[in-house]
Amino acid sequence: MALQNPALSQIPDSYKYGWHDSEQPLPVFKKGLNAEIVAEISRIKGEPKWMTDRRLKAYRHFEARPMPTWGGDLGQIDFQDIYYYVTGTSKAVQSWDDVPDYIRRTYDKLGIPEAEKKYLAGVGGQYDSEVVYHNIQEELEKQGVIFLGTDQALQEYPELFREYFGTIIPANDNKLAALNTAVWSGGSFIYVPKGVHVELPLQAYFRINTENMGQFERTLIIADEGSSVHYVEGCTAPTYSTASLHSAVVEIVVKKGARVRYTTIQNWSANVYNLVTKRSTVEEDGVMEWVDCNLGSRLTMKYPSIYLMGERAHGEVLSIAFAGSDQHQDAGGKIIHAAPNTTSLITSKSISQGTGRTSYRGLIKVYPGCTRSKSTVRCDALILSDEARSDTYPYMEIDEEDVTIGHEATVSKVGSEQLFYLMSRGMNENEAAAMIVNGFIEPIVKELPMEYAVEMNRLIQLSMEGAVG
Amino acid sequence: MAIERATAGFATGLRAADVTPGTVQVVEVDGRSLCIGLTEDGEWGAIDNVCTHDGGVLGEGELDDNAVECPRHGGRFDLFSGRVLALPPVRPVNAHVARVEGGELVVEL
Amino acid sequence: MTSGPITVRPDAISLDAATITGISDAHDEPQWLRSLRRSWWERAEATPWPTGQEEEWRRTSLEQLPRNLELLTEAPAVGCALDDDLRAAGVIFADLHSAVREHGDLLQHYLGTVDTIASHAKFWALAHAAWTAGIFLYVPAGVDIDRTLFARSAQLRANVAFFPLMLVVAEAGSRVTLMDEHLSPDGEAGWFGGIVDVRAAEGAWVRYANLQRLGDATWNLGAQRVDVGKDANVTTLNAEIGSAVTKVGLDARMTGNGGVSRLLGLLAAGDDQHIDMNSVQDLFGSHTTSDLLYLSALYDRAKASFYGLLRVQPEAKATSSYQECRNLLLSPEAGAEPIPALEILTNDILRCGHGATAGAIDPVQMFYAQSRGLEADQAERMIVRGFFEQVVAQIDSEEIKERVLEALAARIGSADVADGEEAA
Repeated sequence: MALQNPALSQIPDSYKYGWHDSEQPLPVFKKGLNAEIVAEISRIKGEPKWMTDRRLKAYRHFEARPMPTWGGDLGQIDFQDIYYYVTGTSKAVQSWDDVPDYIRRTYDKLGIPEAEKKYLAGVGGQYDSEVVYHNIQEELEKQGVIFLGTDQALQEYPELFREYFGTIIPANDNKLAALNTAVWSGGSFIYVPKGVHVELPLQAYFRINTENMGQFERTLIIADEGSSVHYVEGCTAPTYSTASLHSAVVEIVVKKGARVRYTTIQNWSANVYNLVTKRSTVEEDGVMEWVDCNLGSRLTMKYPSIYLMGERAHGEVLSIAFAGSDQHQDAGGKIIHAAPNTTSLITSKSISQGTGRTSYRGLIKVYPGCTRSKSTVRCDALILSDEARSDTYPYMEIDEEDVTIGHEATVSKVGSEQLFYLMSRGMNENEAAAMIVNGFIEPIVKELPMEYAVEMNRLIQLSMEGAVG
Repeated sequence: MAIERATAGFATGLRAADVTPGTVQVVEVDGRSLCIGLTEDGEWGAIDNVCTHDGGVLGEGELDDNAVECPRHGGRFDLFSGRVLALPPVRPVNAHVARVEGGELVVEL
Repeated sequence: MTSGPITVRPDAISLDAATITGISDAHDEPQWLRSLRRSWWERAEATPWPTGQEEEWRRTSLEQLPRNLELLTEAPAVGCALDDDLRAAGVIFADLHSAVREHGDLLQHYLGTVDTIASHAKFWALAHAAWTAGIFLYVPAGVDIDRTLFARSAQLRANVAFFPLMLVVAEAGSRVTLMDEHLSPDGEAGWFGGIVDVRAAEGAWVRYANLQRLGDATWNLGAQRVDVGKDANVTTLNAEIGSAVTKVGLDARMTGNGGVSRLLGLLAAGDDQHIDMNSVQDLFGSHTTSDLLYLSALYDRAKASFYGLLRVQPEAKATSSYQECRNLLLSPEAGAEPIPALEILTNDILRCGHGATAGAIDPVQMFYAQSRGLEADQAERMIVRGFFEQVVAQIDSEEIKERVLEALAARIGSADVADGEEAA
């Protein structure tokens, strides 16, 4: 998968990580991956030896592991044809003219302000976020909340970092997790102290060294006992990235009685493989909610997981997947019940149109002894065109008798009676179809922060143009 | 771990001097497959050999301080208590007392 | 509960081309059948054993399949009786060897002419090559058989592999109900690899019930294939009661427009039984309906796995389909893995969905039953019987219903309350 943009051969001039040894000449990065490049990444970041060792070990695992043979078609990925460490790979687009037409048109239609457009496309400098960011930081500091870029967190809070890093998703968990552990860069680190409730949703958008479009982000969130926090990443507008492989890892620790919600809305450009490993553990009386909206990308493989480790822990995955032509969303959720009285809910809404394909892939596993546990999985799929495809693969491993586990799925199309009814009220066919689709995803959209919900609806409307019939 | 045990120690046939610190290996004792480890600090530990996640062979994994890492998916167990230190396993493994007697490793099951 | 990769088991049975020829010789088979067996044997040899990596085989290991089995060459008792009036109408219901002799031309037209789903292809091929007993049921066009036909095979020897082949052809507009029962003694190791091939032509109405009561050391590795033609209406019922391990593949193809199929299943398993069903509902025809309902009651340390694929092909318009697998766990060590999968390649569907559940009896239900004066185990029996009613109510033939319930009673007990009070 060759990267087209010649700008990438230039040495990046806006490196933001804060080099420790500023006398070193900037290295020239080649494509491809080997142990030396992994070691170099660590050296440039000035990391402690234990992290360098972890990266190298992870690289060895990555090499040894075969690619998964299930899910989407990963046959086209050439790992040696990728840059693994170029700052702002996504910022390599040097001019607005380089941004593909379809992206620019979408921004126009969504009414995105000029400055923001450029930011999203990776052109130009920071969008207003610096000022806002500083104000937020002051508030958080008062509460004792840590909210930093992951690289910085490793430098400033090494013990806390080391205690949790790689304990939820170890390097050898799967091939992509191994890759991420070897070459990770950017991402968010959040620690919320006991009893602290962070009222404002924390957004990746506002991190000063934001790698919003980072290829190999590594995020670690620790919510201490009784705390709560909501983290939001991504955006609904198509995010242009010249990098074709995005493989992030997100680890979340929810301690006793704490509550975390992680909302993701991703709409990668159509050249991107988006392969993510996201997992959290939940202790007694804790709650974890993944709200996951996947639009765009060539192939997304993502199954946010929740391990319910303590009694009365609760986990929810709310997932929306939208696949347009030549796109494949292979997503879902995994919930592991490892304690009694635990409950879980997975709600998945997927929509496929054109030649798109959505696949729900999920797992509910109940270990022996997890009595009085309950889980409900509800997957609904809407297929908008004749050539689109929808799959559902719900796995269940139930090894405890005293439980209630249920799964239900439906697959449907937009009903002609429904359409007719709406059109008789003065809408045209596209508007009517858009309204039906928006109604279909409404139970999940209503959980999104308002501005995302609005953009999501508009995006659906846009995508529906010419979609019906 | 100074608990009175009624069980006797089983000889493993493993000479302590033959084991490199910071490693784990597989040993069969009394029909059970165990993962034996020697930390860099010179402490011996023994846990059941089968990972509770997906059946990986712990004795073929790695030892990082006192964490035994399963070669299959990277799950970790404490060498001395069998406690889970990293997912994906959720259930601990049984741990046993290991000590050296006359240059040979002995395990109490 | 999931098992790791399995090793290949070629030593389970010593079978070679000579054995196949031997069967043909022993029955003085005509050339067409010899060639047919041989080409299926080649197919069997060329098809690898499942490795355990395939989705359908991840949950059942063939590691413990009994070794050193001999192929059962003398036909065991295969009962099938046909009334005179039916014979006069042209119905054929005979053991396969007789059918080869007396209805060779007709049989040749249908026998061994189709293949089945990949996960069970090896067993399908083996049975077509090495069948030593079986049944041919042929119903001519327009003939309406108003009574239930019964077939029964009993595998009476130990340490054998037995692959009976049941071929059912219902011509256009015909109507037939068949109950097929399989037995083998407890305590005797064996491999039962019976296959069933049902062809329902245009407008045919077929009811097929398979009552599996194999012994507790028998391995049941079988396959069933059902072809539902234009406007045909087929219901199959699989009642799994016996065996040590059951791994059955169900291949239901809606090939003609307007066809209707119902795939019903009742599993009552206990001790250390392992029952694994793989089904494929493949909808090619438009305006077709296919509904699958599998219910299991699991006791002791029994495990039930279910991997079912419901696939609606791009050319199948306006279809209605559903897949449901529900498991009642009646002991702490019982386990279930129901995985109903969907692959929908068109949006022109009327209805499509699936559901799966696993869990214990709802405590409220138990409380209600006990508050009516029933003891706990009586209440449980009644509730399990009520749970099974969703399938039992869909059995058209009273005789089949009775036989199935009687066989199930060995595991689930009898409901033991007045008929009128049983939940519908």
